[in-house]
Amino acid sequence: MIANTLTIILILVGLVFFAAGTAGLLRFPDVYSRLHALTKADNVGLGLVVLGLMFQASGPADILKLLLIWVLVLAAGTTAAHMVAQRTWTHGEFESDR
Amino acid sequence: MNGLLVLFDLVLLAGIVGVAWRCLASTDLFRAVVLFITFGLLLALAWVRLEAPDIALAEAAIGAGITGALLLVTLERLRSIMAERHTGRPHTPPPDPTGPHALLRALHDPPPERRTFLPALTFALVVGGLLVTALWHQPQSTGLEPVVDAHMDVSGVDHPITAVLLNFRAYDTFLELAIVLIALLGAWSLGRHDLIPARPAPGPILPGTLRLLVPVAIVTGVYVLWAGSHAPGGAFQAGAILGAAGILLVLARPRQLPMAPGAPLRLGLTGGVALFLLVGLYGLVAGHGFLGYAEAWAYPLIILIEVAATLSIALALVALFVAGRPTGDDA
Repeated sequence: MIANTLTIILILVGLVFFAAGTAGLLRFPDVYSRLHALTKADNVGLGLVVLGLMFQASGPADILKLLLIWVLVLAAGTTAAHMVAQRTWTHGEFESDR
Repeated sequence: MNGLLVLFDLVLLAGIVGVAWRCLASTDLFRAVVLFITFGLLLALAWVRLEAPDIALAEAAIGAGITGALLLVTLERLRSIMAERHTGRPHTPPPDPTGPHALLRALHDPPPERRTFLPALTFALVVGGLLVTALWHQPQSTGLEPVVDAHMDVSGVDHPITAVLLNFRAYDTFLELAIVLIALLGAWSLGRHDLIPARPAPGPILPGTLRLLVPVAIVTGVYVLWAGSHAPGGAFQAGAILGAAGILLVLARPRQLPMAPGAPLRLGLTGGVALFLLVGLYGLVAGHGFLGYAEAWAYPLIILIEVAATLSIALALVALFVAGRPTGDDA
């Protein structure tokens, strides 16, 4: 019962971060502030969702797998954000063909 | 709770149709590719909702991930071809609209004026009507699940999907492997690639992440392959993960990529199909039928084929990404 409540609360708070991150990605004016909003959703939002799901895991193996997913997304998200920011710094904002 | 799930399904469906429409209607190719990747991820979610995690894994890894990367690299190459055409020969006459470069031209010209939707609408309505009629008259059936369940004990594995893919319907999988190989032969017949030089890394972050991610990807790939015998997973998913690690290396390439040695590369690329064929022919000779196994040998043979297939798929995906035969390789 306590585990279920914790799961629901943690995932809901995580979803708030995702919603805020998405709003920022859509509404912020330039690449850097958009990245800033996006990485918050990835890091904290997913972290909270993963933490919430850990209370539903059937054993330590599942908990470790969930943790691994979070760490991998952290590493990939950080690198991608860094590369987008660096590219923008050296080449200017991305312009599409049309 | 059920109502919420129905709501989720409806939102997911609307999202899939909406993203597919935006992807097809987009005149910006880069945006279309990004939407295609999004479409693949939503489709993977739909497979999860249909309780088909195996297909969801394959869709996310191959459909969205690897195909997306292939489309992006194709787009980059198309752009450099277009740039050459525009700067190199400024006064060429407009190319023949039916000639070999018509496609490239069509990609770069503004889209034609909007035409009537009538033919497309009629076609969609007729095909949709036929599909609905076909679904309506579908005979009552429990599907093949009971049949598969009844024969699980002779399949050699514990996961029904793997049993179907590598035992009961092995020739489907065999032909899928062959298609991957044929696609690569097609790419190789179109050209060669030179030595690929190192790409100067913009800072230490990318090489550092690469050193972290590639070993994890290899372990995950082997795990997914191993899990295939009793849980969702298997050769295609594992091959896609290993292939993705290879594509990451090719993309980031902290140092010059070595030329793949011809003979081992060919052996690895064809290993999956060749081993599958050999086992199948042995089954034919030994009286189990083509691609049939003796019951006692089913498990080791399936594992052997899956390992070879995983390596072949991973190699083929990376080779497709690099595109073209290695230069100076005339073996």
